[in-house]
Amino acid sequence: MSHIETFYEVMRRQGITRRSFMKYCSLTAAALGLSPAFVPQIANAMENKPRTPVLWLHGLECTCCSESFIRSAHPLVKDVVLSMLSLDYDDTLMAAAGHQAEEALEDTIEKYKGEYILAVEGNPPLNEDGMFCIIGGKPFVDQLKHAAKHAKAVIAWGSCASWGCVQAARPNPTQATPIHKVITDKPIIKVPGCPPIAEVMTGVITYMLTFGKLPELDRQGRPKMFYGQRIHDKCYRRPHFDAGQFVEEWDDEFARKGYCLYKVGCKGPTTYNACSTVRWNEGTSFPIQAGHGCIGCSEDGFWDKGSFYNRLTDIHQFGIEKNADEIGTAVAGGVGAAIAAHAAVSAIKRLSGNNENSEDTSA
Amino acid sequence: MNIPLNASQLDNNGRRVVVDPVTRIEGHMRCEVNVDSNNIIRNAVSTGTMWRGLEVILKGRDPRDAWAFVERICGVCTGTHALTACRAVEDALDIQIPYNAHLIRHLMDKTLMAHDHIVHFYHLHALDWVNPVNALKADPRKTSELQKMVSPSHPKSSPGYFRDIQNRLKKFVASGQLGLFKNGYWDNPAYKLSPEADLMAVTHYLEALDLQKEIVKIHTIFGGKNPHPNYLVGGVACAINLDDVGAAGAPVNMTSLNFVLQRIKETQEFTKNVYLPDVMAIGGLYKDWLYGGGLASENVLAYGTYAQTPYDSSTDMLPGGAIVNGNWNEVLPVDVRNPDEIQEFVDHSWYRYANGAKGLHPWDGETAPSFELGPNTKGTKTDIKELDEAHKYSWIKAPRWNGHAMEVGPLARYIVAYASGQEAVKEQVDRSLATFNQNTGLDLGLKQFLPSTIGRTLARALECDLVVDSMLDDWHALVNNIKAGDSSTANVEKWDPSNWPKEAKGVGTNEAPRGALGHWIKIKDGKIENYQAIVPTTWNGSPRDSDGNIGAYEASLLNTPMERPEEPVEILRTLHSFDPCLACSTHVMSEDGDEMTRVKIR
Amino acid sequence: MSEQSVKAEQPAATVPAAEGDSDMLVRRQTAVYVYEAPLRLWHWITVACITVLCITGYFIGSPLPTMPGEASDNFLMGYIRFAHFAAGYIVTIAFIGRIYWAFVGNSHARELFILPITKKSWYKELWHEMRWYMFLEKTPKKYIGHNPMGQSAMFVFFVLGLTFMIFTGFALYGEGLGYDSWASQMFGWIIPLMGQSQDVHTWHHLGMWYIILFIMSHIYVAVREDIMSRQSLISTMVGGWRMFKDDRPD
Repeated sequence: MSHIETFYEVMRRQGITRRSFMKYCSLTAAALGLSPAFVPQIANAMENKPRTPVLWLHGLECTCCSESFIRSAHPLVKDVVLSMLSLDYDDTLMAAAGHQAEEALEDTIEKYKGEYILAVEGNPPLNEDGMFCIIGGKPFVDQLKHAAKHAKAVIAWGSCASWGCVQAARPNPTQATPIHKVITDKPIIKVPGCPPIAEVMTGVITYMLTFGKLPELDRQGRPKMFYGQRIHDKCYRRPHFDAGQFVEEWDDEFARKGYCLYKVGCKGPTTYNACSTVRWNEGTSFPIQAGHGCIGCSEDGFWDKGSFYNRLTDIHQFGIEKNADEIGTAVAGGVGAAIAAHAAVSAIKRLSGNNENSEDTSA
Repeated sequence: MNIPLNASQLDNNGRRVVVDPVTRIEGHMRCEVNVDSNNIIRNAVSTGTMWRGLEVILKGRDPRDAWAFVERICGVCTGTHALTACRAVEDALDIQIPYNAHLIRHLMDKTLMAHDHIVHFYHLHALDWVNPVNALKADPRKTSELQKMVSPSHPKSSPGYFRDIQNRLKKFVASGQLGLFKNGYWDNPAYKLSPEADLMAVTHYLEALDLQKEIVKIHTIFGGKNPHPNYLVGGVACAINLDDVGAAGAPVNMTSLNFVLQRIKETQEFTKNVYLPDVMAIGGLYKDWLYGGGLASENVLAYGTYAQTPYDSSTDMLPGGAIVNGNWNEVLPVDVRNPDEIQEFVDHSWYRYANGAKGLHPWDGETAPSFELGPNTKGTKTDIKELDEAHKYSWIKAPRWNGHAMEVGPLARYIVAYASGQEAVKEQVDRSLATFNQNTGLDLGLKQFLPSTIGRTLARALECDLVVDSMLDDWHALVNNIKAGDSSTANVEKWDPSNWPKEAKGVGTNEAPRGALGHWIKIKDGKIENYQAIVPTTWNGSPRDSDGNIGAYEASLLNTPMERPEEPVEILRTLHSFDPCLACSTHVMSEDGDEMTRVKIR
Repeated sequence: MSEQSVKAEQPAATVPAAEGDSDMLVRRQTAVYVYEAPLRLWHWITVACITVLCITGYFIGSPLPTMPGEASDNFLMGYIRFAHFAAGYIVTIAFIGRIYWAFVGNSHARELFILPITKKSWYKELWHEMRWYMFLEKTPKKYIGHNPMGQSAMFVFFVLGLTFMIFTGFALYGEGLGYDSWASQMFGWIIPLMGQSQDVHTWHHLGMWYIILFIMSHIYVAVREDIMSRQSLISTMVGGWRMFKDDRPD
């Protein structure tokens, strides 16, 4: 019971030599932009670390994040689960149910206080005292707060936990709430996307396990390494965008040539994610390559920006539903008409009035 | 076994056992049962414990976006809701999709079907039959022999291979960190496999984990990603370009078609060499455990799917229809548009109907959440110990077909297909039964064998086999159609909302991995006016209706003996055989999303 | 009007009076030097830039029809965006220069930025000007600089509008430059503040229409005032001299 398998042992067991192991460590260092001085540190960490316990909670969600996670190809999810971390609670995959499942959760919280990682998929609804999502007869939000209390760090999987996602779309009937509004005293790493890319999920976890620290986050709490750029910035169709070559209509000749999907609503230019670089499912493809624009699923509130097929966002303030150009032309039209009317009245006044103040104007 | 199918026949006097959370399902579910002095289940209560209100959210949206919203109903059966939503919108607007789009959609839908069935069996269901801790005691050589016997053509069968896996498992267990296997019921006598069979199954658990990520790449090719590939009203977004300039950057070209073919073949191999043999082997070893039939022998429902000829349901590979009162000699036609056939009831669901309506057809679906607990509830509103099933007790509504509770899913589809005389299905089922009888020395009839927990699990595997085979046909049909000069993938005539009628209503149906799925939409002024989905788990996991008819989950648990009531192995086994999907099942449309009724404990 | 020839000699002395306090002084003045050369230059640079920005901005949101030929042969969107960014830079630098000029230029150079909201008389005159525009006053007042209504409009529509556009514009520009770029470091905080990138795009787009509304009114009022008020307007922004059309008191 005392021996806990380390990364090094896992790799050795899988037939990797010490030499290749060290090479792996230097490649890892290089891939993460670290100097060779870090190699021994990485090797040391991988040789000695026990598997970090992970509690994976599910709130209001659709399980797409779990499904995505098990798609990971490098590392393979079986290696993650069997050798890299200890997934002590995950209601989607765990063998136990009911009170045995709840017991497993309590055990880990008790035994690994301050050492376990809390991964959250989905979010808590706050309406109806939280009873739109019930775990063990109690509101999910209670379980979430309870498990977060002694966590070392919290990972917000997907757009549900990070932003609210579909159940929080207008009018958000259950008052589904992103987890950072409920857990305020812990570092939270947001890994948004609906779902996030599998290799991004396992990449974030292995980074934390390998380097023993949280990844560097951007302003919104997302790992910079995967969410530092927009899909548009590295899209293979970008040359067509710059050239002004667009798909005008589905299945037109330009769609078949792989032109830019900007005009049919692609949200790549406003979406921070690694889809165009890491790509999906072991680098097989990504939405734009498959001919459909990005719907912006890793962005906050992407459900409420009007149709996915519109270039310009609909605006919902003031009880209207129009895009900026529609509003602009309407208001400009109004102002133009007002100016015309004002000019007409001014002209009439001027002609008929014999205004005493400007007899001498020559215009 | 005569299963009582009405609440009035149930006995809730015995010991109450509560399972919450029910794990290895999608979403959140609770189950309570009463067992008698012999630990036999005499009353069962299944509760959907989540509600997200997606249809409230859909109101007023662009119908062309609906697929993306409803796709997020479920990330496990990802895509099936999206497809059904596209069909509902296309039905409402009278849009016909090109033949290529028809085939590509089928390929995507079947990809889901195969993936979902395999993941369900190995990663959600297997641990109900298989004991990974017991596998440590296995002799890898004997496992190898077993593997070669069960499936002669599976290449991964050497003793060394199984020894490696076993060693890995040993290290894992020795680490003391059991992870997902922690607190399992590993010493429960309900587990009956030999250590060798357990080791083989655990090995396949890992093989399936590797394989499942390959199958879904078909979604990635056609839909850009998985989970949640992209769909398009009017066809598919993946344009075809095989031989022109730019083909290499086009979604569907020669390389991606080859890629898809390769994934189909891999899946086919796995299904034939691993999945189906495993199910048959495990089924045979649990030959004495023929519980869990419930509603299946009485009432089953399917809408039908996979039409060979687009828009001609008489060519469905899996035909639709309904069977009631156990009369397999008559398959009744189902009309999803008829307001009197399919209706939803909320007497025992946390919703209320205005004007005291009883059942409502989804086009007229009207609901407001109403979370109230009955007078016999134990505990408090936010700490429920035991539910009062005589009152409201679930976030799932109770859909009924002509007043009957129905079971849906692979088993229902197979019963309907068998009864309809579908040749391929008949052949599969008859062959499986013969093999089962031969292996076990039993002499079961079809009606004893098929409507059971094992039958449900077997039907899923057979369906996977059937579907994957037909993917090859679809692939060839796609190539032939392109060869014939048709590379059209989308019908954009009615893409622009200005070409739509002022008001329209439509329905889309499909057979999701878990059963009959229907989406009903009403469109007004280019926006969604009303949207209702009745999903498979709404049928199977439904609470009681106004007449006390119980749903499929509840019925299936009745009369099942439990080895140890405090360890719900048997409950999980049967519930999992339905592949519950709770995020799917709990839906509602309300006039005012913000208005929530206060809880009342009477 | 022969503006060049009638330059008066005494304007400097009456400048303070012209700030708006009604003085009963009967002046004989026909021209005042109001807009110094850098300021006029700034005005017309800004005019050119905003024109470019509006046109290119519109086509970034709603691109032109697809270009034929190879992607490598075309760079239309690239040029449109380049023009937008270049004009954005120029208008921003010019605006910074304009702020600088508010400190070193003459008193009129400050009018855009500082509304004399503490002065009671200013409100009175604002009211008077509004009534004049509603055709309720027969005679407008004379102003060397901006009248109170013009000054308010310049501040609210132009100064605030342009500042908003510069901030949101560079926040969006920083997205392309990269997370560690100066633009992202200085203005990137705006993106989460408004929600996400798409929201900033939308607000920036709406901002364009706000500026267009300003331009429409600005041009109309300038033309109208040129005709109907008691001083020159358009020519002033060309030559710098304000002409007065009568010698009656303000």
